[in-house]
Order: sequence, then C-alpha cells, then structure tokens
Amino acid sequence: MNSPDSSKYHKKIKRSNDIAKIIITVGGYGVIASIVLILMFLLYESLPLIISPSVDEKDLGIADSKANDIIATGLDRYTEVGYFLKAKGQIVFFYLADNSTAYKDSISLEESESIISFEKGTLGKDIFAVGTNKGRIITAEAKMSPEYHRNSRTIKCSFKTNEIYTVENLEENTGEEISSLDFTENEDGFNYWGWVNQKGELKLRIYDSDEEEYYSHNITSMLGDVNISSIKFSSSGELLMVGTDKGDMFWFDLSDPEDVLLKDNWRFSNSKITKLEFLIGDNSLLIGQQDGSLTHWFPVRKKDGDFKFTRINDFEKQNSKITSIQASPRNRSFFTINEDGEIYLGYSTTKSIQLKLDHTENKIISATYSPKADGLIVIDTRSEMIYYSIDNDHPETNLNTLFGKVWYEGYENPAFVWQTTGGSDEFESKFSLIPLIFGTLKGTFYAMIFSIPLALLTAIYVSQFAPKKWARIIKPTIEIMAALPSVVIGFLAGLYFSPLFEKHLITAFALLILIPIVFLMSIYVWKLIPENRRLRFPQGAHLVFIIPFLAASFITAISFAPYFEDLLFNGNLNQWLYNTLAINYDQRNSFVVGFALGFAVIPIIFTISEDALSNVPKSLTSASLALGASQWQAVMKIVLPAAAGGIFAAIMLGLGRAIGETMIVLMATGNTPIMDLSPFNGFRAMSAAIAVEIPEAPVDGTLYRVLFLTALMLFIFTFVINSFAAWIGDKLRKKYARF
Amino acid sequence: MKKGNEDFIKKGDPYILLTSMGLVFTLTMVFVLLGIILVNGLGIFWPSDLYEVKLSDNRVLIGEKWATDLKKSQGEADITRSQLKIGNRDIYGFDFAWFQDKEVESIVANPELVLIERYEYGNFYGYIESLHTESNIYDKSSENFVDKILVTLSMVDDLKEEFVDKRKEHTDLLSPLNEIRRGSSLLKMNEEYLSSDEKELLSEYEQQEKDFLESNNHDIVIIENEISDLDKRINEFFITVRTGDGIEKEIHLKDIVRFHQPNIMNVFSKTIHYLAKVWEFVYDGPRESNTEGGVFPAIFGTVMMVILMSILVVPFGVLTALYLNEYAKQGPIIRMIRLSVNNLAGVPSIVYGIFGLGFFVYMIGGSIDSLFFADKLPEPTLGTGGILWASVTLALLTLPVVVVATEEGILAVPKANKEGALALGATKWQMIKDIVLPNAMPGILTGLILAISRGAGEVAPLMITGVVKLAPAMPFDMEFPFLHLDRKFMHLGFHIYDVGFQSPNVEAAMPMVYSTALLLIVIVVLLNIFSIYLRNQLKKKYKTSSF
Repeated sequence: MNSPDSSKYHKKIKRSNDIAKIIITVGGYGVIASIVLILMFLLYESLPLIISPSVDEKDLGIADSKANDIIATGLDRYTEVGYFLKAKGQIVFFYLADNSTAYKDSISLEESESIISFEKGTLGKDIFAVGTNKGRIITAEAKMSPEYHRNSRTIKCSFKTNEIYTVENLEENTGEEISSLDFTENEDGFNYWGWVNQKGELKLRIYDSDEEEYYSHNITSMLGDVNISSIKFSSSGELLMVGTDKGDMFWFDLSDPEDVLLKDNWRFSNSKITKLEFLIGDNSLLIGQQDGSLTHWFPVRKKDGDFKFTRINDFEKQNSKITSIQASPRNRSFFTINEDGEIYLGYSTTKSIQLKLDHTENKIISATYSPKADGLIVIDTRSEMIYYSIDNDHPETNLNTLFGKVWYEGYENPAFVWQTTGGSDEFESKFSLIPLIFGTLKGTFYAMIFSIPLALLTAIYVSQFAPKKWARIIKPTIEIMAALPSVVIGFLAGLYFSPLFEKHLITAFALLILIPIVFLMSIYVWKLIPENRRLRFPQGAHLVFIIPFLAASFITAISFAPYFEDLLFNGNLNQWLYNTLAINYDQRNSFVVGFALGFAVIPIIFTISEDALSNVPKSLTSASLALGASQWQAVMKIVLPAAAGGIFAAIMLGLGRAIGETMIVLMATGNTPIMDLSPFNGFRAMSAAIAVEIPEAPVDGTLYRVLFLTALMLFIFTFVINSFAAWIGDKLRKKYARF
Repeated sequence: MKKGNEDFIKKGDPYILLTSMGLVFTLTMVFVLLGIILVNGLGIFWPSDLYEVKLSDNRVLIGEKWATDLKKSQGEADITRSQLKIGNRDIYGFDFAWFQDKEVESIVANPELVLIERYEYGNFYGYIESLHTESNIYDKSSENFVDKILVTLSMVDDLKEEFVDKRKEHTDLLSPLNEIRRGSSLLKMNEEYLSSDEKELLSEYEQQEKDFLESNNHDIVIIENEISDLDKRINEFFITVRTGDGIEKEIHLKDIVRFHQPNIMNVFSKTIHYLAKVWEFVYDGPRESNTEGGVFPAIFGTVMMVILMSILVVPFGVLTALYLNEYAKQGPIIRMIRLSVNNLAGVPSIVYGIFGLGFFVYMIGGSIDSLFFADKLPEPTLGTGGILWASVTLALLTLPVVVVATEEGILAVPKANKEGALALGATKWQMIKDIVLPNAMPGILTGLILAISRGAGEVAPLMITGVVKLAPAMPFDMEFPFLHLDRKFMHLGFHIYDVGFQSPNVEAAMPMVYSTALLLIVIVVLLNIFSIYLRNQLKKKYKTSSF
C-alpha cells in the first residue's frame, strides 16, 4: 500500500490542501479587511476637519542687541527669509535656518528722527508705511522674491523706498509726530494714508496713481470732541474705521476720494478701542479693547435697507489690553496679542479662539503672519525671535459650522448654507451639511410616500390574489426593473418627465382627485354584481375589472384637464400657483424626483416583501379560511402580521437605496442647496453633491474632506439601516418559523 | 342594507380592488418607461420624410417634422405650433425652428429634397444643384446625377484613405527626428545651467538633426509634395447645394458622411438605410461632441472595464464565500462579518466612488507614480482616474453581490455529498475542488452576471474614477503594451449623462441619448434574465438533489 508513489501523492494533496487553506483564509481575511479599510479611510480623510490646530515652536535666537528698537517684522512666502525693521530705519533680512544676515539696507532718516509708527499696506505683501517723529511718512517695500534654478530656489532680498512725504505744520513750522498711522494700497492703484498727529487731528491723504492726483483731508471736525485711539482702512481703502478712547466707533466712506462721508457712528462699551483690523474680504471688522475684549462685526442690512455694522460675536475676553490684531491673508483667521504677551489664534466664522500661545512673560514687540498664514514670527522685549509653525489646515470647519447655523458675512441672519465655490479669493466657502442632509431626506421622503403604498399593494396582490401563472411573469418583470441603470431613469426623469409634468401639471392634479372618485365608483359597481356570481369569478377578476375604470379616469383627466385649467386657473396652473400662492414651480423638482426614485425603490420593496408574503406558510391561511374568514380577512389578520418582518426589512432596504441614489437626484433635481419643503422645488442631495463637487475639490483641501465626511455619513446611515433591517427581519422570521 | 355594506367592506373586496389597482399602476409605470425608451430609441434611425414649408412671411423651411404643441395664453386663441429640424447649423446657427400652423402657406414633400450628413455642422437639408469634380461639372438635370455623386463620394473616400496613409508614412519617416528634438528641447529649456557634458550632448543632438534632415531630405520632400497634391485633389470635389430660402453653398465631398433623399425611398431602401445607421451607431466613433455618429468607444470601454472588474471580483468573491462557509468557525463573529458583507451591497455607489478616488487614485496611484513614474511628474500616470482604478472600485462595489450569490450556491450543495467525499478520504481542498465548486458553479455564475450588469449600469463611482466624455485613445490597442491600464475611457452610462445633460446642443442630441439608453437597457436586462434563468436552474437542482 505505502508505495513511494502513493506517499508522494499523499504529500502532494496534503500540500495543495494546505496551500488552498492559506489562500482561502488570506482571501477571506482580505475582503473583511477591505470593509474595515473603507470605513477607516473615510474616517481618516474626514477627521482632520474637526481636529484642533497644533503649533511647533522654533527658537530663532536673538534678533538684535537692542530689542526695544525693533518696530516690525516680516516673512517671505516660503518662510526661508525674514526681516526686521528698526526705529532708526535699518532693515535686516535674515535666514530663518541659522539666523545669519542675508541683506541689510536702511531708510535714510535724519539725525534725531526715528520711526514711531508702522503699518503694512496689503494683506500678505510687504509694502508698508512708517511715520516718524519729524512728520515724515515714508512708504517702502521689502521684497523677498524666489529665484528658481534647475533644482533649487533662492530668495532674493531687496528693499526700496517708494515715497517720502513730509507733513508740514505751518503754524509751528515743525513736523508733526505721526503717532497713529494706517496705510493701504488697493488693486486699482489708489494709495491711502491716514494718521493722527500729536494734536489729535486725523488727516487723510489719497493718491490716485492713474490720474496722478493727490487728495488731502483733515476730518477731525467730523468726529467731534474725541480722542482717537485707533484707525483702520479696509484693504480696498473704501472704508475707514476710527475708534476712540471712550469706545466710540466711526465709519467713513472713502469711495469718492474728493468727498469723505461719515456713514455711521456708534458706541458699544466704555473701554478704549486699542486696535481695529479688517479680515480678508473687507467685511469683517475686529475690535480690540483696553479691557481685553475682542468683538467681531460686519455690516448687515437692516429693515430700512441700510447697512449697519452689527456685533456678530464676542470672543473670549482676555486678561489684558489687546495691543495688536493681525488678519490672515489666506482665510478668516487672525491672531491677537495682549499686553501679557499672550497670543490668541482665532477664526471669525467659527466664533472660536482655536489656540492660545502663552509666549513669554515678556511683552511682545512685534509679530507677524507668514504670507501663507502657516506660521508666525514673534519678537519679544528680550529680542528673542520665535517662529511658530501652525498646523491648521481646516480652521473654517468645526462641528458647529458643519451642522449648525452660521452667520456669514453679507447674510442678514445666521443660516445653514452650502456654497463651496465663489468668484474671488476673498470668497468664503460655506460648508453647512444641513442643506444636503435635508435634500437627501426630502428626496427620500417623496420617494417613499410614492413607492411604499404602490410596492406593498402590488406585492399583496401578486402574492395573495393573482393567479399563479400571472405572478410567475409579473414578478421577474418588476425584479428586472431593479436592475435598470439609474442613469437611464435619471435621464428620463430630467429630460422627459419633468418637462411633461410642467406642461401637464393640471392633468397630474386631476388624476390625483379623479382616481379616488373612480375607485369608489368601481367599488360600487363591483358591489352591484351579485355575491354568488362574484365568488365564482376566477382569480384575477379584480384586476381585469379595475382596468377599464382606471383607463377611463386617465382618458378623462387628459381630455378634460385643459378645460379645468382654463376655467379655474386662467389657463395656466403654474402661473396661477406663483401668482396666488407664491409657489415657485421649478421644472426639475422634488415631485419628479420622488416619482423617478420610485422606479428605483419600488422593485426592491416589492421583491422582498412579496417574498416575505408568499413565504407565510399556507397552513396558516388555510386554517383561517376554514374558520370562515374571507380571503381578505386571512390576508389582513394572518399573512400581513406574519410577513411584517420581511415587509419592514423591504422598506428599510428601499430607504437605503433612496438615500444613496446618486444619478437620479443628480439629473432630476436642479441641485440647488435650498431648504424648502415645497414639492415643486429642487434640492441638492448628499450623494449628488459628492458626485458633482469631488472632481473639482483640491486633494486634502477642506471641500475634499467635507465631501469625505458626507460619504462617511452616507456609509454609516445606510449600513445602520441595512443592519437594522436584517436584524428585524431575522427576529421576526424566527418568531414565525415555528409554524 | 347597512349590514350588507358593512359585510361587503369586512369581507375586503374593496381592499382587493385597491391592491389590484396598485399592480396596475406599477405595471403601467414599467411599461411606459420601457415604451418611451423603445419608441424613441428605435425610431430615430428610420429616415423620415422631409418637408418644404412655405410660411406667410416668405420664410421657407426645409426639415423633418419633430414636434407639435399647443400654446395657450390668456385671452387669446390657442396657438398650435410645429417644430422642424432644419439643420444647416452653419447657415442658421441652430438646428430647430418653430412655426405657427396658421402661418403655413404650403407644405410639400418634394421628392428632390435631400438630407446630407456631414462631419461638421450636423445635417444639411435642401437641394443639390450640381457636382464638381476635377474635370467636370454635372448639373442636377444630367443623367444619373445622384449615382454620379455616390460614385464620386466613394472615390473621395478612397482618396481620403490614401491621404491618411501618406500622413502616417510621413510621421513614421520623421519619428527618429522627433526623438532627437525631444532630447534637445529638454536641454534647451535649461540652457543657462548646462554642464559641459550636457552641452556636448546638445550639440550632438543638433548635429544628428542636421544629418538626418540632409540624408532624408529627398524622401521628405517627395512625401510632403504627395500629401499636398492629394489634399488639393480632394478639395476639388464638391457639390453646390441650395437651401429652401435660396442660399447657395458649396459642400466638399470630403465633409460628407452620407446623403439620402428620404421622400423617394421605398420601405426596402429605408430598411437598408436604417440598418446602416444602426451599424454606424454601434461600430463608429462619436462625432460633433458626441451628439452624432456612434458609441463604439463607449461600448468598448464598458466591456473592457467590466472584464477587468470580473477578473478581480470573481476570485476574491469566491474565496470569501469559501472562507465564510467552509473554513471559518461559525459563530457570532462570522455572523457579523456575513451581515457586514451583505450590508455592503446597500452602501451607496457614490461612497465607493469617493473611496476609490481618495484611496486608489490619489493614495495608491500617487505613490506608484512617485516610485515608478517619477520622471513624468507632475503629469500623473496612475495618480489620476483611469480604467484600472475604475475597475478596482467597481470590483469592490460588486464584491458583496458575488459573495452572496456564491454562498447561496455553496449552501445548495447537499451536506451528504460533502461528508461523503470526506468520508472517502478526500482532503478538504479536494472536497471543495471536486464537490463544492462544481456544484456551486451556477451560483458563482449568477454572481458574476449580476456583478457585470451592475457594473455596466453604474455611473456615479465611475465618473469620479476615470470615465471621460471623449477618450483620445482606447484602453486596448495595437500599441505596446496593448493594455493601457492608466488610460481614461468612455462608458455607455456616463455617455447618457454627458450627452443628455452637458452637451451644448441637448435637443439635437436627444435621439443619441435614447438609443444609448436603449442599448444599455438591452445589455443589462439580457444579463439579468440570464442570471434569473441560472438561479432557477440552481433552485431546481437544490430541490432534486436533496437526500
């Protein structure tokens, strides 16, 4: 028996057995792992949205021996080179890597002259104006431009003085001290300077580079008797905000350079306004005060049609005076510095302070954002320079902006808004998922109220009353419907049914009214047939009987509806709806979507509930019929309860399909993310939003991750619904298995 | 009487009527839907008559009848309007025209009216006046005028083919030069920073270019002359045509796909025309931004994608089903896993799509690019959507379908058979190989077919992982390595969406959408019927082989 051949054979089959086991087990595990992988990957992509920012600290060493001389700092866009400007006019560019000097230059100042005020002109650029104690305003530009070589990049530093302007004080024949200064250069070539001198006068100077013309204004008299503590231009120069030491605010309109207009003034607290700053987009204004409070404002249209700066949010109150606010050139983040040397990083839309940096006990002399807002450089009184690199990729989202109402700039109220792309860099993407969830639920709702009754009625008839021969044909016919590509249904809904409905809306309405009436009539006629005759009808008689009635109602509706429309609605129902009830009729609306989704959902509900109904043991129905129940009574009291689990599971599965269906909602709705219950409006569903927007979304950007979050929600939604359906189905099946 | 009513309702006849009404509605919906697609999808290739419509404002329109409608406005008489497809987009700028029926002075189906299908600007409707060839001018009154055009047309087609061949010859001849130029242009871009070696290489390239041009100059000149001669010759063939309102125009024969005079065609010639159009539809590429021509690339793309998907999904699906049923220890964990696999079938396809985009395309594809195709970056190779990633995504999507169907097949194998095999000394693998798998084959096939039909009809995940509206090249061709997994491809389902919703001229494209939809439905429905048949076979087997 144990010939060498046989043992070789045994070895061989044993080996193949082992190999098969390994391969199958690995394959099985692989598939299970891939399920987990999907969930994990969706989580991995969407979690960064709500992770709080983190910061890395890098000590750059000592900037200069005399720290108190330093007025300002700046960084290049690759954060390779920085500079600082000293009161005596020297500007020093240095490498961040080793604190070695890259380039030195200076603004030429007089002997006893020194810089006492400084302001950058444009967000993210290093054009600035400085004011001196001798009444000079010097506009200059620090340039740190990259030069590319084949495989490397070097930053070339240069500095140039653009303009020197001397403010003459005619009475005393001396210069003015430019104590509080602001400057901006807008895209149309206008330059705006504004300053306060030692006498407390507020002066403006505007230069139009196209016309090469200067305008000067002294607007002190427009303010009344106040002490100005802070001034700020919007970056377009069209707005000038002025704050006083009593907490008064003034809003000037500079859109006409020849004529300065006081738009509004108001007082909101008694604390001195120490710092004003516009965020990107020139709408949001941050006001920092002596008592450490920081408030967020933007103009909101009031009932009379006028815009008024409105207090949107109070950020967490700080312990000491806010000395500086700086807006990010990229988004609506900002940081503030207070007298205790604390740096707060905040974001206006999320209304939150996202990070607090307790820098040192020393006061901070100067701090600035990097042009990409991914870091900031800080110099304190010991002249210590520290670079904080900020890892904050998605400051604009947190749970509140994703799921709650947010008061966006330009809106009259807090609202749920989904608007991801806009025309300009200053556009703020709005990522409220509520309109999408609402859209999905709305579509699902209309689909379900349409398809549940139809599918269940059909299932009951086919399983209980139809002749077996018919059922054998009808069932697969409807089943095949489930396999119809949804793109075909969507295209028909969008291009065939929606124009049809729009044109024949009245017919649809007429049918809604007519069918119940005709149905009642048919019952009456049915009753007229003597019962003993009826009982002798073959199976399926009901169906044959009802067809002419339905056909009649269709023909009536189609032929008479136009006359009704003429009589009741001036010949145009859609127009009438709009004029009388103010209902707007969109061609691609929820009504059409519900109908189209029904095509996708009905076969699912039908197939599964029909299975459940026909699987109810015959013995049960036979017993109840034997006890004298009518056919219907047996169905109602015995079959339906027994099949309830299957029917429930069927509805849940249909629900799952409706929630996740993409192409139909994409093609048959207008995809407008509005929240309105009207069946004649469109919506934007989660699935459609993913399909439309993910190809355009920059990888790992906020939109990209928000769409992954949407997908994760859809995944969990449907997974839970399906599990629940399976669980209920299982439970109820067990309950009736004993029969 | 009242008692009778109550009794009548209790016994439930009204409810039965209600349920039967439900069935009528459902079936009506099904048949209306299929009917719309059938009628619109099949009808469009049939040549319909052309009409010349004279209107009271002296406009003359020529075209196919397209639609009529009734426009109502308050306080005025109803207006019946008709729509003609008038074509001649190069002259009128739009394909359709509406006119009110009361404006019509005369409608004639003139037998001479002709429909010319062109490669550009869509159809031309009107009259052919004369034919110009290299040597002759034929007037429309000349003998066998139409036949002459047909003959000339096929001659021009031959010339065009020759032209294409010559062009290819030209490219082939110059291809070594292109290599050289690519090398030198790369160096020239960085001319300032070249090392001495590179400078040498550059001058070598320049020398090679010069040498090549010198040695091949003769051939190049000859072939270029031939090409320009051919081009000139082809351009000498044209017909002059006239629209209904008398505008005369020349149409080069090279721009004509085909033409016919529907008003004098009989049923037989119409049938031939119809079949030719159907053939063009399934076998030709699209023209005019997908609104005319055929859908062959889309069919090809769909089939390729489905094949790749099947290669991936069947082994894994079967392995999983085998593992779950034969190897894993049955218990709550396996029940949970089985439930999860089942539930995956209900996860929306778009979720798979976004997963495929993020994970396969950007993460895996991106990594492969930076490892193996770094020289092409930033131009992505596999780090962008393509047929490979689309197929992998769909394989994942259809996996539950295959697993569930295979499990059904495996469960249908009688326990006695399996135990018998083991009792006879077979190893587990032998038992699976010889008993389980052959018997579960119908189940596996059912799964495969269902997966294919799902894959063929799915659009949402594909449109973000590699389907495009117009692919410049097929994913499979005669160019090494033949199968191009990184290429983007066209897909029937996406074609419907794209042409129907994103085409600049939706109205003119509608027939195309209907016929594509019909084609897709036919494929999917046939596959499904086949799988239902297989499932029934499986059920029968299960019933008969129970011990």
